[in-house]
Amino acid sequence: MIKSLDPRVIRAAIEDSNPIEPLKEMDQWETYEVFHQKKRGDQHMHVGIVHAPNTEMALLFGKEQFGRRGISVNIWVVKTRDVFTTDYEDSDIFETIPEKQYREAGGYKVMDKINKFKKGLGPKD
Amino acid sequence: MGQKIKRLHMNENTTDALKELLYKMADDLLIIGHRNSEWTGLGPILEEDIAFSSMAQDKIGQAQALYTLLHEFGEQEPDIVAFMRNASQFHNAQLLELPNGDYDFSLIRHFLYDHADQLRFEMLAHSSYEPLAKVARKVKGELKYHVFHANTWVVKLGAANDESHFKMQTVLNEAWNFALGMFEEGPFEDLLREEGIFEGEKILQEKWLKNITPILLKAGLCLPDEYTWKPINGGRKCEHSPYLTPLVEEMSEVFRYDPTAQW
Amino acid sequence: MYGNAYIDTTEKPAGILEGEDPQRLQEFEARVARGEKIEPKDWMPREYRKQLIRMIEQHGHSEIIGALPEGTWITRAPGFKRKLALMAKVQDEVGHAQLLYSAAETLGKTREAMINDLITGKSKYSNVFNYPAYTWADACIIAWLIDAGAIINQVANAKGSYGPYGRALDRICTEESFHLKYGHDNVVTLATGTPKQREMVQAALTRWWPPIMHFFGPSDKISSHTEILMRWKVKMATNDDMRQQFLNMYVPKIWDLGLNVPDVNLKKNEDGKWDYTEPDWEEFKRVINGGGPCNAERLAVRRMAEERGRWVRNALNTSDAKYVAPFA
Repeated sequence: MIKSLDPRVIRAAIEDSNPIEPLKEMDQWETYEVFHQKKRGDQHMHVGIVHAPNTEMALLFGKEQFGRRGISVNIWVVKTRDVFTTDYEDSDIFETIPEKQYREAGGYKVMDKINKFKKGLGPKD
Repeated sequence: MGQKIKRLHMNENTTDALKELLYKMADDLLIIGHRNSEWTGLGPILEEDIAFSSMAQDKIGQAQALYTLLHEFGEQEPDIVAFMRNASQFHNAQLLELPNGDYDFSLIRHFLYDHADQLRFEMLAHSSYEPLAKVARKVKGELKYHVFHANTWVVKLGAANDESHFKMQTVLNEAWNFALGMFEEGPFEDLLREEGIFEGEKILQEKWLKNITPILLKAGLCLPDEYTWKPINGGRKCEHSPYLTPLVEEMSEVFRYDPTAQW
Repeated sequence: MYGNAYIDTTEKPAGILEGEDPQRLQEFEARVARGEKIEPKDWMPREYRKQLIRMIEQHGHSEIIGALPEGTWITRAPGFKRKLALMAKVQDEVGHAQLLYSAAETLGKTREAMINDLITGKSKYSNVFNYPAYTWADACIIAWLIDAGAIINQVANAKGSYGPYGRALDRICTEESFHLKYGHDNVVTLATGTPKQREMVQAALTRWWPPIMHFFGPSDKISSHTEILMRWKVKMATNDDMRQQFLNMYVPKIWDLGLNVPDVNLKKNEDGKWDYTEPDWEEFKRVINGGGPCNAERLAVRRMAEERGRWVRNALNTSDAKYVAPFA
């Protein structure tokens, strides 16, 4: 028997040699991506994955692995294989040329025009 | 809660009755929390290890809250009460002190106990003894998760494959009469009911059977035949299996190493 | 909690870059140099992937094995506060293993393969966990000083170039700060407690000092391989630097408690560095290679746990499940 200072290990009565069959593929089930919401009103955010055999358990596991310190109010899970992503190889598609000011708030300078217009009106009587 | 709340008249009798109720609840929680904590780091898969440990922590935290109420009745500090008594002073049901066995037994015990625990606290949420009602309302969310967890596991494993079905049915049969021992009546049932503190073990057991039956059905598991039901009582009267003494001695080993010390 | 990975630098630097596309390598190195993170599906040099898998996996193993020495005391922690805190701490270690294995999975090694390599002894884990926790005080010293060492290592590694590892470490470091406080509080309680408590904590410190000094590993061999791994931000600090940082932060705190560090040569010299007796690296190697007091027990326990859980995992496996490596 394996000697141990841990009473739990002593109770487990482990043989000195306990070779086991290696874990087979899928032994640890598939993975779910976990998203949590910190508080109502916030966006859900990706926090990591859990291995789980079904969605109910993915939720049970996700809640404890990512929410056990009371920082979540809601959890989503989705099978990893159901998530589709863009390729980092193609991340240049997100690059935009600086001239596209027309869709930025900073591209519109109305105050200049207003001030110029007001000046043109001259002093009021 | 919308219900008429009875005003509790504290006297020597109600105090004794409350202490009896609090001791059995707290000891149940401490002992199952302790047993379940033994799985920490040794569970069947990392994710479940984490979830099971959280629930064990919840149980021990709930026990502490109840020992704190006992302390207000003049009992010793929670640490002293929990760590310095002998097994023959514990009021827990015997079901909770049994060794963990395989994960099947730990799960079925978790299922059988947590349903009872949730219902007991639900009933106590309207108790005329407000401090306990307050604890009951506070732990509602924890218990909901525990029962959700237990139901999911029992249903899935009961119905998964022949091996898991057989294992779950076997441990259900083994645990059953011990589980019935959770509802052993005490000397204060009438008083507790009359005072609006707690409706009693009989009603709790009825509610419990009503709750667990459809889940077990869904799991494809059968309740043992009713004629074989023989509650293993005694726990409430501090009579225990041989497993409690070593558990208590182990739990308090360090604490007793130097009882004068702060740990 | 964790020590440093045993990065294998025996391979020749010329060999490790052989066959890599020079342009992609250049782009990769430029990205790392700009401080950008590498994400799982990015192109990366073979050696980068190999060393990261090894490092993250070892780190994961160290967490799950690290749950055992402290777990020794989980049923005996004295009093509610300690009992609950130790449960939460050991639980966190399990949670860390989960996070780290997940990060390693993004690089293409399955959790099953990692667990198999652990239980057959093929993969390493932090050497300190091959020592026993004789008393409650040992568990307290581990919680304080081993976790302190782990934080130094993990804070450094969190700034590394691989995104998923950095993210896991950020979360881990937050939780470790609870562990460190918990450990310190425990050691302070014992050291300022009764004579019996002081005696037990001193004995534990004396026992744990050599493994603690081993914790960050031997001085790094200055090789061009090491240099590449530092350039790629896989290895973030030298073992000696981390050891110095540890001594600088914690030896004064140990001395504050009137505890004796069992090294007569330990002192801070004029240039701010700590002098110490060179740890016994032969012992370190012997223990890594299986000759420590608890190596056999640790792996036997993991095999027992995996074996006992197998029917549970098998039962819930469904035929339509399909594994794809997580990508974040």
